[in-house]
Amino acid sequence: MKSKAYDSESQSVDRNVIAELRDVSKSFGDVLAASDLNLSIGEGEFLSFLGPSGCGKTTVLRILAGFEVPTKGEVLLDGEVVNGLDAYNRPVNMVFQQYALFPHMTVTQNIGYGLRQRRPRLSKTQIVKKVTKALDVVQLGGFENRRIWEMSGGQQQRVALARAIINEPKLLLLDEPMAALDRKLRKEMQIELQNLQRQLGITFVLVTHDQEEALSMSDRICIMREGHIVQVGSPQELYDRPKSRYVADFVGTSNFFSGKITNLTENLVSVLLENGMSMQGILGGELTVGQDVCISIRPEQMRLHRQGDGLTVKVLNRIFLGEHTEYLVTHGTLGDFLVLSPRQSELNDVPFNRGDEGLVSWDSSIALILENN
Amino acid sequence: MRIYATCVYLFLYTPIAIIALFSFSAGRHASQFQGFSIKWYGKALSNPFVMDALETSLMVAVASAFLASVFGTMAAVALQGIKGLVRTVFDSLIYVAVMIPGIVIGIATLIGLVTVFDQLNPLVSTLWPTGFTPPKLHMGMGTLIAAHTVFLMALVVIIVRAKLVGMDRALTEASSDLYATPMRTFQQVTLPIIFPAILAGFLLSFTFSFDDFIIAFFVAGSETTLPIYIFSSIRRGVTPEINAIGTMVLGVSLLMLITAQLLLQTGGKKNK
Repeated sequence: MKSKAYDSESQSVDRNVIAELRDVSKSFGDVLAASDLNLSIGEGEFLSFLGPSGCGKTTVLRILAGFEVPTKGEVLLDGEVVNGLDAYNRPVNMVFQQYALFPHMTVTQNIGYGLRQRRPRLSKTQIVKKVTKALDVVQLGGFENRRIWEMSGGQQQRVALARAIINEPKLLLLDEPMAALDRKLRKEMQIELQNLQRQLGITFVLVTHDQEEALSMSDRICIMREGHIVQVGSPQELYDRPKSRYVADFVGTSNFFSGKITNLTENLVSVLLENGMSMQGILGGELTVGQDVCISIRPEQMRLHRQGDGLTVKVLNRIFLGEHTEYLVTHGTLGDFLVLSPRQSELNDVPFNRGDEGLVSWDSSIALILENN
Repeated sequence: MRIYATCVYLFLYTPIAIIALFSFSAGRHASQFQGFSIKWYGKALSNPFVMDALETSLMVAVASAFLASVFGTMAAVALQGIKGLVRTVFDSLIYVAVMIPGIVIGIATLIGLVTVFDQLNPLVSTLWPTGFTPPKLHMGMGTLIAAHTVFLMALVVIIVRAKLVGMDRALTEASSDLYATPMRTFQQVTLPIIFPAILAGFLLSFTFSFDDFIIAFFVAGSETTLPIYIFSSIRRGVTPEINAIGTMVLGVSLLMLITAQLLLQTGGKKNK
């Protein structure tokens, strides 16, 4: 029983559904860790669950792995309900946050562990062949007989990865796999993971609180908050068309100005801000007149200049970021907000210094009006 | 402070050191050193009573340490899966078992077993077919092993529990995730990782059982363990032979304790 994966928001993904959550809820005592989750995961997809700690993303992963049984709802794997199926009977493998490698085994023994559990048994030569291939895939040739504690964090992660992918699982679950790596190594591993996923065609489900990680690797991101799915979409969609202030705030950086909608008739919607100013923008969801909303404008969509039209602001701080310069500016009624200026415009013009006055402007057609939550 | 500490250690260890020293004396008196010799060791080892007692002690120590390790590990693993009030009660009962004075355990076990045996023996003999001598339950090696096992189990539970608690829960989950059934997970992951702790528990149990006098004194029946032999021969006067036996017992105990300590330490390091 295979159906096409659909996604209400994004352009429909043309993939077979490999896993599905239907009205899945999980509570621990009084705490609702996940509530009424509905999601289809496409075959060969790289899907990330993104959210702050405690949002329920790890619970979802553990439900998929079979470590937790949902309190309510159904989990489907390849068209079959697997709610009661124990972890050891599920064709799903996980890369644990601290890798959870077996300390009393060598690298080879760790990687071959899953194969050795198969019944009927695989022959020794078959296992050796597969392990050698897996070591090759994660570029650990020559480390066969190393002990786990003799290896660096990055190498341990590769072992954990090899130990999981060698079983050719239907889903590869990754629980914050980069959290223990330093920044540079993390970048490398992100690229490697992505290549690996394309090369193997295995469906990857990643859990992370690092938006950069999710944005750079995923085909789709599922943003979670307090046990709920807030929005699902491709990285670009979530960045360009967030549906709520929470998503706009979590994916990238944005300036928010709160207010109420006064006029819905025109192409551009007018919003009366709390400070009495009126601003225009486009709707980022179904909103009504009088609703509490906020206007979201990304710092890089604002321009800071000396001539022409714009709001008069004063530069409070200037941070040089290489390709961009970030200005913290203040406006009499709007308060403080961020403006990102590309390096090129800095080179063409005299850069602003702390205390300088300037003009800030933006296109009303990029100012998003979002639900204020 | 330093002087105080030195005094404490002197008080503790001087008598032991003197016993060890005098065991090498060539003279006939336990409290006079008359030339170096190891003849008392030879004498002790060729004394049939000493060798009998040693054999009994070793059998009791090995058997009870083994049984305590097996049952203690089982209890420790089972306790991992229990939460709440039941666990608290079990935990406190285990600590109580370790802290109860030996004399209380000895007397309680003796009274308990004698009462049960008195009830059971007539029952067994009535049920037994006539013409055969019915077996008679009595105090002896069996009761000694049983009493030691029960007491040592608590020790093993505490040691193994400490190791289990320190073990990453993700390891058993990873094993389960990699298609190992709970039984195979226990065999392939949990057991190898906690094995140093079990071995340490075994060695400590062995030492405790081997050295125990109080409990053995009450429940051994007609059996004579090494500590019981030493106690009874002291009543006839302390000879250098006793010193030699004591020193050997001390040596074995120290070796076991140090091995156990090393096992617990290196085992802990590797798993981090």
